[in-house]
Amino acid sequence: MDFPSSLRPMLFMTGPLGLSDVPDMSFMCSWRDALTLPESLPQTSKNGTPHLAKGLLWEPDTPGPLPLLPPGPDPWDPGLTAQDLLCRGGPKFRRQPKAVLDVTEQFSRFLWDHGDIAFAPLGKLMLENFKLEGARSYSKKKTVVSVQRILQDLGGHQPWGCPWACFSHRQRRFSILGDPILGKSVSNLLGELLHEELVMRWEQLLLDDAFTGGALAWLPGRTPRVRQLVYPAGGALDRLHFQEVRLTPGGDPRILGKPGHIQLRGPVRQVVTCTVQGESLLAVRSDYYCALWKVSKQGQPSPLQVLQVEKGATGVNLSPHLPGELVVCSRSGAVCLWTPQDGLQQIYKDPETLVFRDPSPWRWADFTAHPRVLTVGDRTGVKIIDTQGPPGCGLLLFRAGAEASCQKGERVLLTQYLGECGPDSLQPTLHLICTQFSLYLVDERLPLVPMLKWDHGLPSAPLLAQLLPPPRPGCPRPLLLGGHGGQLQLLHIAGEGASMPRLAGPPQSLPSRSDSLSAFPLLEPKSQQQLQERLQAPTIGLVAALPPSASTPVLSLFQLSAAGDVFHQRLHLREDSQSPGDPRPNFHAPTASWSPRATTCCRRWLKALLEVPPAPPVWAAPTFSHRHLLGLKEQRKVEGKVPEGLRAAMAEGRLLQQRDLGSLPTAEPPPAPEPGPKDELSERLEEAWEGPAAAWWERQQGKGSRPGKQPKRHKRRMQLSSTFSSLSGRLDLSDATSPPHSPDRTSPVSRPQLPETLPSQELTQDLWARGIPSERQQTLRDYMAKLPLQGDTPEGVSIPLSQTSSIQATPSRQQTLQDCTAELPRQRYTLRGATVPPSQTSSIQTTPCRQQAPRDCAAKRSLQRDTLGGAAMLSSQTSSLRTTRSGRQTPVVSGSQPRRKKPRMGF
Amino acid sequence: MSDFSEDLLRPRTEDDPEEMRVGSGSGMHFPWLQRLVESVATGGRKQKEFAQTTSACLSFIQEALLKHQWQRAAEYMHSYFQILEDSDSNKRQAAPEIIWKLGSEILYYHPKSSVETFSAFADRMKNIGVMNYLKISLQHALYLVHHGLLDDASRNLSQAETWRYGDKSASQEVLINLVQAYKGLLRYYTWSEKKVELSRLDQDDYAYSAASQSMLDHSWKTSTDFHSLIQVPGVWDPFVKSYVEMLEFYGDREGAREVLTNYAYDEKFPSNPNAHVYLYGFLKRGKAPREQLISVLKILYQIVPSHILMLEFHRLLRKSEREEHRKLGLEVLFGVLDFAGCTKNRTAWQYLAKCLRQTLTGNHLAWVLEQWTPRKSWWPGFHFSSFRARGDWTEDRALAHEKAFVAGTLLGRGCRYFRYISKQDHQALRKKMKRIKKLVKKYSIVNSGL
Repeated sequence: MDFPSSLRPMLFMTGPLGLSDVPDMSFMCSWRDALTLPESLPQTSKNGTPHLAKGLLWEPDTPGPLPLLPPGPDPWDPGLTAQDLLCRGGPKFRRQPKAVLDVTEQFSRFLWDHGDIAFAPLGKLMLENFKLEGARSYSKKKTVVSVQRILQDLGGHQPWGCPWACFSHRQRRFSILGDPILGKSVSNLLGELLHEELVMRWEQLLLDDAFTGGALAWLPGRTPRVRQLVYPAGGALDRLHFQEVRLTPGGDPRILGKPGHIQLRGPVRQVVTCTVQGESLLAVRSDYYCALWKVSKQGQPSPLQVLQVEKGATGVNLSPHLPGELVVCSRSGAVCLWTPQDGLQQIYKDPETLVFRDPSPWRWADFTAHPRVLTVGDRTGVKIIDTQGPPGCGLLLFRAGAEASCQKGERVLLTQYLGECGPDSLQPTLHLICTQFSLYLVDERLPLVPMLKWDHGLPSAPLLAQLLPPPRPGCPRPLLLGGHGGQLQLLHIAGEGASMPRLAGPPQSLPSRSDSLSAFPLLEPKSQQQLQERLQAPTIGLVAALPPSASTPVLSLFQLSAAGDVFHQRLHLREDSQSPGDPRPNFHAPTASWSPRATTCCRRWLKALLEVPPAPPVWAAPTFSHRHLLGLKEQRKVEGKVPEGLRAAMAEGRLLQQRDLGSLPTAEPPPAPEPGPKDELSERLEEAWEGPAAAWWERQQGKGSRPGKQPKRHKRRMQLSSTFSSLSGRLDLSDATSPPHSPDRTSPVSRPQLPETLPSQELTQDLWARGIPSERQQTLRDYMAKLPLQGDTPEGVSIPLSQTSSIQATPSRQQTLQDCTAELPRQRYTLRGATVPPSQTSSIQTTPCRQQAPRDCAAKRSLQRDTLGGAAMLSSQTSSLRTTRSGRQTPVVSGSQPRRKKPRMGF
Repeated sequence: MSDFSEDLLRPRTEDDPEEMRVGSGSGMHFPWLQRLVESVATGGRKQKEFAQTTSACLSFIQEALLKHQWQRAAEYMHSYFQILEDSDSNKRQAAPEIIWKLGSEILYYHPKSSVETFSAFADRMKNIGVMNYLKISLQHALYLVHHGLLDDASRNLSQAETWRYGDKSASQEVLINLVQAYKGLLRYYTWSEKKVELSRLDQDDYAYSAASQSMLDHSWKTSTDFHSLIQVPGVWDPFVKSYVEMLEFYGDREGAREVLTNYAYDEKFPSNPNAHVYLYGFLKRGKAPREQLISVLKILYQIVPSHILMLEFHRLLRKSEREEHRKLGLEVLFGVLDFAGCTKNRTAWQYLAKCLRQTLTGNHLAWVLEQWTPRKSWWPGFHFSSFRARGDWTEDRALAHEKAFVAGTLLGRGCRYFRYISKQDHQALRKKMKRIKKLVKKYSIVNSGL
C-alpha cells in the first residue's frame, strides 16, 4: 500500500485537550485543504489552475425528504423533553449554559401521583403504632395513635397546593411528630433514586448513544437491481423489517410488496450489514442482545446465533475481511471478537477509559486494514489492538488531546473504519472519528496525527456516517454525516493513491426531515404539532445509494427516524469545475420546489399518520375515590342543596359541567384580590375562541351602561374594612374597567347616578366626583338630580359578578346571581361550599390565563371551612395546574387534558 | 426534603467547574446544551439585542456557506462586521478570527472574487486585532502560492517574518518558524528551478557561473529558514525533503544525515513513516552498507509492515548472508500479505512462493511454522477461499498460480484454493500447473498432503 510521500506540515503537541497555547494552524476552513503545496517543482503550480472541482454540489430534487413508506400503525410519543426535566424560569442567558434539574417538582409530583408507592412501606412499618378502627384509643400503650379522628379531620381531602389550608390540632400534632419520619426518610430514600433517574434521563436527552452507528442498512436482494432495506419498525422498534426496494437508474426508489419481518424481543439499536466474499451477513444489536443472520442470495435471512450481553451492548461491527466475524462491545468495558463457529474471544477489557478518566461505559470497536487488528474506542480515544498479541497492549490511534488539537470537553462519539480496497478508492487504512465538534480522518499507519480535521458544527451528536463510492471515476468520494437531531452534512474526500486525504470543495448541508414540513397541508394546531414532532424525531439510521447507470450522478438518501418512518431524498450532482476568475452568470443555487407528486405523497402519508390513534397516556391523573364521599353526603343529608346533576357527575367521576349544576343558587365568593386593570383583550379572545363573541360584545355594552356596578363592588369591600376615612384618591377603577370606546358612555344612560337605597352613598359620590373641585360638586349634584334617572334599573345596581362567572353568564343566570347576592349575608354560612367550586372548576378549564389559578386558590381558601366537596375541588385544581403547564408548551388552549405525557419515574 | 432541594437549587457561580458536568461526572461538553436550556428558561436576564442579532447573523452565514450560497453569505457578512464593536470584550477579541475564517471561505469560493479582493481582505484582517497577524499572513501566502503568485507570497512571508508583538510567546515562536519555513520552501522552488536551468547550460558558459552563484546564495539563506522549525516536534515532510536535497547538492552529507536522523529518531516527534523513508532514500543514494539500510527499514517495518518498501526490504534481507535476516525476510512477506490492501500484490505472492521454497529447501520448517501457526486460523478464509480463487483466476492468472502454490504448500493439496486452480483447465498454462503441483508435493508442510 502506498503511503503519502509527503504529508502536510503539522505541529505535533502532546498534552491534555484544550491547551490554549497551541497555535491552531488548522484554521478550520474547507479551502485550506485545497492549498496543497506544489509537490516538487514550481512549474506544476505556475500553470496549474486549481485542479479541484470547486463547485461540487449535490442539489436536492425537493426541498426536503419525502416519506417512502406509510407510517406504522403504532403511535409514537416524543418522550421527555428538556421542559420536563429542567427548572423553569432560570436565567436565560449565560456564557456557559447551566442546566438545573427540577428535582423538587418531579419529587412532589411523584409523591402526589404515587403516594401509595412512596408511603406505603412506611405505613406498613408503623402499622403497630396506629389504631385504625374504634373511636377512641383505649390502649394503654402511649405509642399507639387512633387514626379515626385524624381521618375525620382530613375529611378525605388533602390540602394540596393551598398554602392557607387549615389544619386541626390533631393534624398539626401528627404532622409535627410524623414529619421526621414521613418527610425525611421518604425524601432521603426516594429522592436519591429519583435524582439518579432524572440525571440518567437528562444525560440521555443530551446524548442518546444507543443508536450509534445507525439502524438502517442495505442488503442484497433477489436481483442486483432489487435491494432490501433493513430497519426496525413497530412502536418499540422491535420488528426487523426487510423491505424490497428497486432503485431506478434515476435514483427513484420503487417499493416492492410488503416488507418481510422478524419479531425480536427487544428494541433494535443498530443494524449492520456486510457482504464479504459473496456472503452477506446481517448483525443486529439490541440493548442486551446481539444477533447474527446469514442472508442467502435470494435475500432470505437465516439466523446464525444470538449473543446475550449481560451488561448491555454498546456496539457491534462486522468484519469487512472475513465472513462471519464480528466484534461486540459491552458496557463493562470488554470487547470481544465473535465468530459463530468459535464463539467469543475477549480481546480487550478495561472498565477505565483509555486516555484519561472519564466515567462512561460507552465502548466501540471496528476493524482495520489488518484482519487481526481492531480499533477499540471510548469517549476519550481510540486504540489499535492486535488480537494476536498480548492482551491489553496496543497503540493509541487517536487521543482526545493536544495531538489532534481537541477542544476542552471534546469526546469521541463515533469511530468508523473507512477502508475499502479498490483501484479508485482512498487509502484502506483510514478511520473516521467524530466528536461533537469535529470530524477527523486518521490513518492507522500514522497514529495520533489526524490527516484531516473539519469542524462540522452540527447542532446534534453525529452518530451516523457513511462513506460512499465516487459518483463517477475520478470524483472525490462523498462522506455523509448525520446528526442525531436529523441534520445532514456531506463532505467530499479526495486523495487517491499516494496523496493525503483532503476535503475537495466546501462541505454541504442536506435538507433534514423537518424541512419537509412545508410540503404538508396546514393542519389544526394539535395535528400540526403531532406532525411537527414526528418530523423532528431523532434520526436513527442513514443509508445512501448511488445508482451506477445514471447519466448525471444521482444520490439516493434514505433516513430512518426514531418514530419508525423511512424518508427518502434524491440529489443530483452539479459540477462547476471553472477556474476561480471565471465569473459564473448564475451562481445562486436554484432552489428546489415541491412537485405536485411530492405533495400528494406527503398528503397521503399524513392522512395515514392522522389515522394512527394517539399514544395512550402512560400516566393518567389520579382518580380519587369519591364514592365514600357520596355516602358521607347521604348520611349527612344535605338538604337538597346538592343537585342531582352534580351527584350524578361525581358518581360517574367525570368533569363537572355547567349543566350539571343547573340553576344553582351560588354564593358570592368572598372578595378576592382584584386583578389589576382587566385584560379586556384576552377576555375577548377567549370569547372569540369559544364562539359567542357577539354575546361578549353585548355584555360589554351592558357593562358600559351600568357604571354603578364596579364601584358597588368596591364599596362593599370598603364596608368590610370599614374604612371611610381614607377614601380620597384611592380608586381609579371606574375608568379602567369600563371600555373606553363604548359609545354608550356619553349617553345619559350611563351617567353616574346616586342610588339612594344603598348604604354607601358617600363612597359612590366620592367616586364619580373625584377630581372635581369641591366647590363645584354641589352644583353638579343639583344639576344631576334634575336629570331623569333612567339608569336606575335593578340590573344596574348590584351585580357583583365574580370574574369567572361573568364570562360565562347568560342573562338569565345573571338574574339568579343577583338574587343570590341579595341574600348574601345569610347564605354565606349556610350554603354548602361544595356548590361553589364547580363553577370555579369550569372557569379554570376554560381560561388559559395562568393568573387565574392563584386567584381561584385564594378564593377557595376562605371557603374551605364550609366545603364538603373538597375532593372534587381538589382534583379539579390539580388538573388546572397540569393544564397550565402543558398549555404553555402547546398553543392549544382548549383541552384540559395534558397533551404531553408527563414524565414518569419508574423504579 | 428541604435540605435536599436546597442542595439542588443552591446558587452556583458561573465558574463552578461542577456546573459543566452532567450528573455522573463526565466532563463532556455539549454544543447543543445552550439550546436545550434556552428552550426551558423563560425569565431572567436575556441576551442583549446586539448579541442576538450578531449570533443570528452568524448562523445565517454558516447556513449559506453550507448551502454554497456565496452571494447570500457575502451579503450577511457585510452586516456581521458589526461584531467588531461588541461591548463584550471576549467576543470582540474572538471576532477577527471568525470573520477571517468565514470571510476567506466566502472569498475563496465566490465566483466573482479575485486574488486582488482576497488580498485586500487579508491585508485588512491582518491588522484587526494583533493575535492573528501571523496566521493570516501564512494563509494568505499559501493562497497566493496556490494561485501561482510565488513572488507575492514570498514578499508576504518576509513581511510576516519580521513582525513581533509584545513578548515572544511559544506559539508566536512556532508560527514565526513556520512562516520562515514556508519562505524557505518558496526559495527552494526558485532554487530547484535554477538547478534545472543549470543542468541545461553548458559548464563553460558565462551564464553558468552566475546562475550557480545565485543558487548558492539561495541555499545558504534557505538553510537558516528551515533549521529552526524542524527542531520543533511535528510533521515537516516538505521542509525536510527540500532541506536535505539542498544540503546534499552542496555536499553537506553529514548535515543532511543529522537532519534526517533527528527527524526519524527523535522521540518527541510522531512516528512518521516518511521520516524513515527519507532516511532510507538518503542512505541508499549514498550507497550505504546493507546492514545500515536493513536497520533503517527494520524500524519502518515495525511501524508500517504494509509499506511499499517492505518488498525492497525483503530483497535486501534475502541477499543477506545472516540466517536471522533470512528468517526476517519470510516474516516480512507474511506481514505484508496480512493486510487487506495487499492481498492482490502479485510480487509479494511471488516472493513468498520463492521464499517458502528456499526456506523449506534450507530445512527451516520451523521458521515457516512459526509464521504460519498464528495465521492458520484466518488465512484460509482470508486468502484461500474458493471465492478468492474464482476472483483471482478471472482477474490475474499469474497471481492465482503463485497463491495456489503457497496454499498448496501451507494447507496441503486438499485446500479449496489449490483444488480450484488446479482444476481450471487452460491449454497454455497446463504445463505451469503441472510444475506447481510437483512443487507443492515436494514442499508441502502438511503431512497428510504428502
